[in-house]
Amino acid sequence: MKNTLNQVFHAPKFLIGFIIFVGLIGFCFIYPFFTDKGPLTMYGNGNFFPPGTYVNREEVVEDDGYTLNIERNAETKIAASLGDNEIKGILTYFDLAGIDYSGIDTNDKVALVDLWMENYSSDYSFKTTTANKKLFARIQSIVEKAQKDTGVIIAEKNAETGELEQSETITGTSYSNTSDLASVITFVLGTDNFGRDVLTELVSATKASLRIGLLAGCIATTIGLLLGLLAGYVGGVIDNLITFVTNLFTVIPSFIILILISYSVGDSARGVTVVGIIIGCTAWPWTTRSVRSQVISLRNRDHVNLSKLSGHSMMRIILTDILPYIASYVVMALILQISSGVLAEAQLSMIGLGPATTKQATLGLMMQWATQYSAHLNGAWWAYFPVVITIALMTFSMNLMNQGLDQVFNPQLRD
Amino acid sequence: MKNRKMNKIISVIAVAAMTVSMVAGCGSSSSSSTADTAEEETTEAAETEAADTEEAADTEAAETEAAEETASDDEAATPRNETVYFAGQQWGATNNWNPMSSNANCWAIAQAGNAREMMYESLFMYNCLDGSVTGLLGDTYTWNDDKTVMTVTLKQDAHFSDGSAFNSADVVATWDAHINYGSPTGASYMLYIDSIEAVDDYTVNINAKLNDAGQAENPLMVETYITAIYQMSDEYLQVVSDRNGGDAEAIKEDKMEDAVHSGPYGNYYASEQKVIYMRDDNYWGQSDSMWGSLPVPKYLAHVIYKDNAAGQTALQQGEVDACQQFITDVQKLWLEDGLPISTWLDDAPYGLCLTMPTIWFNTERNGLDQVAVRKAIAMATDFSQIAASAMSGQTYTFDEMPRCVANPTDAERQYIDFDQLTDLQFSGNDVDGANALLDEAGIVDTDGDGIREYNGENLAYQAECPTGWSDWNATLEIIAAAGQNIGIDITTYFPEYASFADDLTTCNFDIGMWTPTGAEIAGLWSRSAAYFKDDYAALEVNWSGNFGHYINEEANEILDSIPYMTSDDDLKAAYTRLSQIYLEEVPSFSAMYRPQAFFAASESVWTNYPAASNDETSNIPPLVLTDGAGIEGLYHLELVE
Repeated sequence: MKNTLNQVFHAPKFLIGFIIFVGLIGFCFIYPFFTDKGPLTMYGNGNFFPPGTYVNREEVVEDDGYTLNIERNAETKIAASLGDNEIKGILTYFDLAGIDYSGIDTNDKVALVDLWMENYSSDYSFKTTTANKKLFARIQSIVEKAQKDTGVIIAEKNAETGELEQSETITGTSYSNTSDLASVITFVLGTDNFGRDVLTELVSATKASLRIGLLAGCIATTIGLLLGLLAGYVGGVIDNLITFVTNLFTVIPSFIILILISYSVGDSARGVTVVGIIIGCTAWPWTTRSVRSQVISLRNRDHVNLSKLSGHSMMRIILTDILPYIASYVVMALILQISSGVLAEAQLSMIGLGPATTKQATLGLMMQWATQYSAHLNGAWWAYFPVVITIALMTFSMNLMNQGLDQVFNPQLRD
Repeated sequence: MKNRKMNKIISVIAVAAMTVSMVAGCGSSSSSSTADTAEEETTEAAETEAADTEEAADTEAAETEAAEETASDDEAATPRNETVYFAGQQWGATNNWNPMSSNANCWAIAQAGNAREMMYESLFMYNCLDGSVTGLLGDTYTWNDDKTVMTVTLKQDAHFSDGSAFNSADVVATWDAHINYGSPTGASYMLYIDSIEAVDDYTVNINAKLNDAGQAENPLMVETYITAIYQMSDEYLQVVSDRNGGDAEAIKEDKMEDAVHSGPYGNYYASEQKVIYMRDDNYWGQSDSMWGSLPVPKYLAHVIYKDNAAGQTALQQGEVDACQQFITDVQKLWLEDGLPISTWLDDAPYGLCLTMPTIWFNTERNGLDQVAVRKAIAMATDFSQIAASAMSGQTYTFDEMPRCVANPTDAERQYIDFDQLTDLQFSGNDVDGANALLDEAGIVDTDGDGIREYNGENLAYQAECPTGWSDWNATLEIIAAAGQNIGIDITTYFPEYASFADDLTTCNFDIGMWTPTGAEIAGLWSRSAAYFKDDYAALEVNWSGNFGHYINEEANEILDSIPYMTSDDDLKAAYTRLSQIYLEEVPSFSAMYRPQAFFAASESVWTNYPAASNDETSNIPPLVLTDGAGIEGLYHLELVE
């Protein structure tokens, strides 16, 4: 046993797969200790807030702050607030209004803004699209904001008179130290369409998907193994019957059966366990077929015949003379079944037949909602890309482990 | 060992050979047109295999096929600067162009309060911005004193696409056809209209159906008829009847590809990928009595996209000009992507919110027959989350526009006294309040499973809407999450549309989502009726409203009296009382405000679309250039270049 394990862990493919897999699981179990966020709590009041650290603005304003001798000057203000679209807009305006900007380097935002301030007028003498008019108005308001150096006046409403009273002016040299602020929240992977924290959700979903995969894999392998052993060893009518049923299930695409069963059990019943069981119950046929063929090749070996002659029971022969010879194969089949279980869950949830969104996050559900809210068209990569990577890593690592085991146990592949 | 090495070498050579042949195959196809590429490739094939005559013949056949394809492609490829492309109004190949059909999915046909006026036309057009009614085929309409007979005069300039004049015979024939053939239109309006008769060539009388007291059943529905229902040609209806041997079922399902119509655009091309309508340059509306000119674009085209994402991508690439689709974070299209795309308003809610998608409770279900349960679900629902995430900010919040039976327009809200409703409003996300309400009503969890019971049964419900309607799906998820907070087990259920429609219209649901009447001529009454009318609950299959079979006598009495009220004060009192009942009893509740039609316009080819900030077009409702008074938008379009 020790020797076998030694061999297995020296197979590079298995080792890499194992490390990725354990890393993934390890992260999923350690992460919850470092966060108090709930996977299904809706934090963001909006769709797809980008990754980053969020600071409470009210607190920043109320914070006394520090004065640093670093002015947030017009140049950096303008550079920060005017993106490529706005610069393009400024140039379009100059073209349309016939303003000569040949003397200006178009990368020099300050010079462009100066020229803009000199020439901009909101009653356009030229014809242009509504989109352009709206863009010009937006540029003007950005530029005006960036140009003013009076600071931001904080006013509070007087409870008695209802009038605004100036309490403070925040200038361009006022800074807050983030460690002084209590309400600083980091969303490493942003939020999803419901405003939920993607990282926390992803960790919870990975665990759920693994649970589904594990359950499905165990069920499928157990059914497959039992039927395969029975068919292969007993033969005759039982073999014919089992082969017939197995073929029947092989011919009908298992995904279709999966959809039909998932649909008929209804939404309320479809928790993680039920989905796992459903997937397991539809994925066993290929394990049965391959176990059966392995057993057939084993059942006429000398040691099996010897056992038979010694009068050993069928149970004992199967357990001691057949199972050990196919054990490595069964483990490999189990790994593949787990990985296809994870994929099957993702597929099911993508078409809305997975667990309920409000009760459990799963990888497939995250993908489904990201697609429904067009995260892929809005550039909200954080809502779907980490999910894809996680699914890929999970199945990839398991396939690697499977190949590694194959290299160790399959005599044909041994060097 | 040797053998395996050999195998490897051979496989490497084989792969290399395949790669080279693929590269060679692709090398020649540098032309941009697909038709050209196909031809080039076939020609190449013909040259190499010329020796084999049989193969050469095949190639010829292929070439002819390619040529034919090109011909039909030509028809579909209209000049870009004469075509306005649409998205989001048709999702499958056209069934028929028949206004009497019960399964019309045709882009050009939408007979509702804001009828789509591109191919067929109604008598009048409704403008949901200012509530005005403008003549289209009709010129004027007047009621007699007791509102039992409406007299409509017709435009004398109007004629059909075959040149035949439009007159009162056509109006009468249209009504008779709907009634005689039992069309959906006939079935719904025969409750309110008794008959339509010609007075002279250009005047008709619409006789309202009378109740036992000799009053019209509902004059408001007669007014809806003249803004919603298309007028068809008497002669053409005869042709359709003759070719179907007078069989009503066959006539209703006649494809009418050759339809004679009065509107400015006719059926030009239709396939499973695309439909195109071409302008009728002889359109009557260019006379001074109507528009004074033809609509600007020669073609209106609608590509049939697979889903929202495909439509949105096309919009972003400038392939779609007018897009009627829900787009998440629509403002990012111009703020971040810098695309020439704009909406009716530049800031949230971006569109013109006129409708109120509503959560309907089946009041026949255990627990949902209790006001406390219904109200608790409504109170616990986080409406600001629905507005911000499910609707992506494209809505008013209920703080901005408090709840009542009216939609968020002044035209309707003038009939509501909000001071009387202040104490009844629920702002949402009030979990404590909802829990207290349920506890007080004695609806508690006695068996400790976390779910409250009523009559010994767990309060477990399915919240249902069609699959793929993303903003609705997300809304129901947020409501389901609210249920968890107050011990009511709500799971979402998103079936296919047809199956959902069956459930909703036959009261076979727990919690359903559907939009009652939007902004139309009798919108406020129709919507109130949808919330309360007991007649609807009695129907076996019911599309009109009151899907949850809620019965309230007082509300029904008010509803019955409103159509005869003449003073604004009476109307205000009536609608305010209805709103009070609505908020106290919660037979259903609005989840959000939503645009009547989403409308994102791309200025890659066309400009001067309806926009609130554009003085020239600011009184044209942003109904995607096609619906109701929104069709006027087509007369103001200009080319960007």
